[in-house]
Amino acid sequence: MALNRRLETTSPFEAARRMSSLDASAPETKDWTHDMVAVGRRRDRDAFMRLYDHFMPRLCQYLRGIGSPEAIAEELAQEAMLRLWQHAGAYDPSRSAASTWLFRIARNLHIDRYRREPTNAIGNPREAEYEAEFEPDGRNTEDYTESVQLKRRIDALSSVQGRLIRMSYFEAKTHQEISAELDMPLGTVKSHLRRAFLRLQGELGEPA
Amino acid sequence: MTPRHHLDPATVLSHAAGALSQELSAVVATHLEGCATCREAVARAEDVGGLLINQQHPQPLPDARAQALRAAMLDRLESTPAAASRAPEPRSKDPDRIPAPLQPYFGASFRALKWRWMGPGMHFIRRTGPSGGNMLMLRIGPGKRLPVHSHGGTEITQILSGAYDDALGHFGPGDVADLDSETEHQPVTRAGAPCICVSALDAPLRFQGWLARRLQPMYGI
Repeated sequence: MALNRRLETTSPFEAARRMSSLDASAPETKDWTHDMVAVGRRRDRDAFMRLYDHFMPRLCQYLRGIGSPEAIAEELAQEAMLRLWQHAGAYDPSRSAASTWLFRIARNLHIDRYRREPTNAIGNPREAEYEAEFEPDGRNTEDYTESVQLKRRIDALSSVQGRLIRMSYFEAKTHQEISAELDMPLGTVKSHLRRAFLRLQGELGEPA
Repeated sequence: MTPRHHLDPATVLSHAAGALSQELSAVVATHLEGCATCREAVARAEDVGGLLINQQHPQPLPDARAQALRAAMLDRLESTPAAASRAPEPRSKDPDRIPAPLQPYFGASFRALKWRWMGPGMHFIRRTGPSGGNMLMLRIGPGKRLPVHSHGGTEITQILSGAYDDALGHFGPGDVADLDSETEHQPVTRAGAPCICVSALDAPLRFQGWLARRLQPMYGI
């Protein structure tokens, strides 16, 4: 399996880097790679329950934020965790973080739940639009942004950029909804989001 | 073919956040099928989502509720086997096949489409999506000049076959034109073959000029 091969060829430098980011980080930036791999390779229940205890309340909060009532948020969050348990064997730590995985699964479950079908619907549009939640293709190791670095960049966003990012991710607001709510021209909403995203990718220089 | 015109980063971010209208998302997904560059950008935007979730300081659930959910999860682990890894389905190379994300709106076959006449050499099919946005499939004959128009909201257009040129450049199969409301453009289709493209629109188009005003009611948008 590709996963095993990759783990076995992890360089000592890489291993040391992973260890140090594990030790040095605050709880919210803890590296969950080790537990994810333990679940994927050994069906390790203790590792899974550590992931569960950390992410379950966060997924519930996220799902409530984008519009699920409390009971449905709990149901979808449980389902997201169970999918992680089922599919962890496909997890590739060099390609995405555990949190990215769970974000993708929870978002898709939410969209599935509330999407209204076009009148002449055939097939399942969600499957078509958000496929490959476990193994997104075309991803290289070096593209995977370090979470510590990404966290620093999020903290360094201007307050308006941070606000629009949160309205997008935590409230699933469209550009037009943001524009109407903040009484901000549509073009300005887009240019803020565009610049915020470039900044998060480090393309506009690093925060001082 | 490797696309040369990509999605606006603001569109990528909102798509990853699950914050685009369903109609815009369908056209975005059509572009992503053929564009590794934009798929990678979506994956980076999903990293942001993951990190934001992780950074939250959540309200803890009431203790009894949390314990009940936890016990239920432990039970379900027992009865839930690991999923078999499945290879992604190979993408169809059949030129008649409409991309999967568009099928809920237009069906599966280009040949089966029932085009409506809109002007000499120009045909269209319009669908109103579930969130009220419009999906427009256009078939414009070779060498045609479309009316100058700008957009009230957002228009995202994916080229499915053929090609056109406008002030923004040359657009061929796989390219996407992700336009701002300020953009005013006049596409001219290439000679040789008709250009088939699909647009999702958040808000009505604003046409200028007499031909355009005549076309407006036919678009019905």
